[in-house]
Amino acid sequence: MTPGMLGQLGLMLAVFFSVAGLVSVVAAWVLRDARYVRVARRAALLAFLGTLVAFGALEWALLTDDFSILYTARNHTTASPTWVKFATLWAALEGSILLWALLQTLYTWLAGLRMRDYWTSPVALGTLFAVQLFFLVNVLFVINPFTPVPNPPADGPGPNPLLQNHWMMAVHPILMYLGFVGLSVPFAHAIAAMVTRRYQTWVSETKWWLIFAWGFLTAAIFAGGWWSYEVLGWGGYWAWDPVENASFIPWLLATAFVHTAMVQERRSLFRSWNFALVTLAFAATVFGTFLTRSGVIESVHAFAGGPVGPIFLGFLLVILTTGFALLGRVSSEVRDAGSVRLWSREGLLLLGALVFVVMAFVVILGTLFPLLVEAFSGDKVSVGAPFFNQLFVPLGYAMLALMALGPVLPWRRAEPETLRALAAMAVALVLGTGVGLALGWTLWVSLTAGLFLFNLVALAWLVASPIARKARVLGGVRTGVGALAWSRRRYGGYLVHFAVALTALAIAFSQSYRLDVQKTLEIGESWQVAGRTITVHALRAVEESHRYSVIADVEVSGLGLLHPRLNYYRTSRTPFASPAVAYTLGKDYYLVLQAFDQKDSEWVTLRLVVTPLVLWLWASAVLMVLGTAMILWPSTRRVQVGRTPEVEA
Amino acid sequence: MKLKYLVGFLIVMGAIAYLAFGGLGNSLVYYVLPSEYAENPARYEGKRIRLGGLVKEGTVRYDPKSLDLRFVVTDGVVDIPVEHKGTPPELFKDNQGVVVEGRFDGEVFRGENLLIKHSETYQAPPEGGYTPEEVRKLIEEAK
Repeated sequence: MTPGMLGQLGLMLAVFFSVAGLVSVVAAWVLRDARYVRVARRAALLAFLGTLVAFGALEWALLTDDFSILYTARNHTTASPTWVKFATLWAALEGSILLWALLQTLYTWLAGLRMRDYWTSPVALGTLFAVQLFFLVNVLFVINPFTPVPNPPADGPGPNPLLQNHWMMAVHPILMYLGFVGLSVPFAHAIAAMVTRRYQTWVSETKWWLIFAWGFLTAAIFAGGWWSYEVLGWGGYWAWDPVENASFIPWLLATAFVHTAMVQERRSLFRSWNFALVTLAFAATVFGTFLTRSGVIESVHAFAGGPVGPIFLGFLLVILTTGFALLGRVSSEVRDAGSVRLWSREGLLLLGALVFVVMAFVVILGTLFPLLVEAFSGDKVSVGAPFFNQLFVPLGYAMLALMALGPVLPWRRAEPETLRALAAMAVALVLGTGVGLALGWTLWVSLTAGLFLFNLVALAWLVASPIARKARVLGGVRTGVGALAWSRRRYGGYLVHFAVALTALAIAFSQSYRLDVQKTLEIGESWQVAGRTITVHALRAVEESHRYSVIADVEVSGLGLLHPRLNYYRTSRTPFASPAVAYTLGKDYYLVLQAFDQKDSEWVTLRLVVTPLVLWLWASAVLMVLGTAMILWPSTRRVQVGRTPEVEA
Repeated sequence: MKLKYLVGFLIVMGAIAYLAFGGLGNSLVYYVLPSEYAENPARYEGKRIRLGGLVKEGTVRYDPKSLDLRFVVTDGVVDIPVEHKGTPPELFKDNQGVVVEGRFDGEVFRGENLLIKHSETYQAPPEGGYTPEEVRKLIEEAK
């Protein structure tokens, strides 16, 4: 048995069991017999195992340098270190879609285990089977990584050097796909809800999956930004590149949906809107793949084209048509239980969701605009960062204001007791902005600082007031603090909000106050810049199995030695600059080795980028993930009640 | 009741559309070849553009001390002198496809951002040089 044969076998089994699962749920639906759902669950497990075999076979081929199949022959090299060999599986199109299929089959199986509803589970499970079948059929018939190579080469070209330059590239795609695939579960339940005409409960049933997917999308986007900062050597973390946008659009729509789903759960409102939003969010994950894998848009990390573009476009249209056709059919009978007052929590949540949807629209517009212009006028244009920044600044302020106000206002209607909190928040806003201006910050940065304080006061009030209330009723602050334990989910949400405010602050500062300079220095020469002394001590070369590196030893006063380097990979004529970053709480010192004296090694050209608060961006990402984990962690409420029943009373 | 929401929604969308398209007009960066520029220089006056073409043979002057880089971009018909501050990328060589982002300053194009369009397989230019169509194709096909 060769890896190629094993892989083909695994894929065939996976397709077979997915079809079997689909047939079983159709039988369950037509015959109204729940036993077939149990059969489908088993088929889901077997389909997952089949895909796992294919995944394992491809890893087997990569780790044993088997070049007899297409994927390794094109994307692998014996010179890679082991971790790169392992991660090469998702370094190119075929493998990354196989990984996607693997995660989709895993989610289908796990989501199936949790489906209890007699009416909706056949449809929801069927939708998931259909989605996974799409990916599996693609991997088996269109972009099969196990296609035999007639004359296997002795060695291959290896994966894109940019992907080997940092370990984060082994993690980022998995996080991203866990997020993308996670959105398929709420989508499948929404389809089931529309087919079975049960418009309310699907939201609470899929809330866990939605937040799970949201957490991974968030982590993946930040991880990608960090990778870009650490590897690409231009000193930034976000470039409004089409691939970045492709991951941002589903995140924006999922964020909008997280908030309106909460309103539907609590107040049975926005039902039609939620059906539309979940369809759009799931479609956006496929749209992103279409954009970046079809060659329609050129980008740093777009894989080579092929027949995948039109196929994904077709799948995108099927998702949108199915979602909106079903919604159109039932929309006349989907009714909300009541109406919305703007000045209430649900009113502001709706406004906040609108802000996120508009942001998504702006990103789609900016990403597709070059295509539209070229189609109509023939001019080749690109939409630069100024466009996105211009629109995201006001939208970002709206988001910051709403995310503080929403949780402070109670459901249904504003009460007088919240007015004191609002007054304190307004004071913080004015004070923060004023102090910022007095310190000489730009208006935009000052306003962001003001809104950061605005959020901080809101969160402080949200945390303190229930504790104070409990303490008043039960006597003693400690009992009040005990209340924290049972509403961990709420505090997880607050933590995420705090982290978003911190992100906004870090973005405002890092985008507004940035120093970017270049200088050619002799070895041993010092450079006074940005309040530091930069000295080049030595220039040396290091040979590794898969690359050759030129490294400069540069001392930054007070921060120690940094080692910016140029990496030369065998398969590429261009060297890849690997920057060296000294993180501090205030500013980052980011050094890139731009060029060096190739004849006598007497000089180097360095680029220095000094950016404030970037470290806080990564810190806020960690806080967001922590907050999400707090929300998702299985509830220990029952245990708590047993121990301290008075807290619940 | 419904009408109120509809009107509100339309106003919001109108404002966004206005902002978006107004903003787009100012922040679009046109992609131009030297001969396209020569046809109508007034159109690109003072605007940020991306100038594409080949590095003309024997025109590259670079001083690593001052980081001044000068070269001529050509598409086989029209030549445009470019001035840029900063290290040229490793693959910056004669007859290499480049895209320079920047603005025209009189006759000279001041580059702010230099992108190399390199195909991994180097080809010698044909006898008699490229035509603009060939140059455009070359640059677009390269990654």
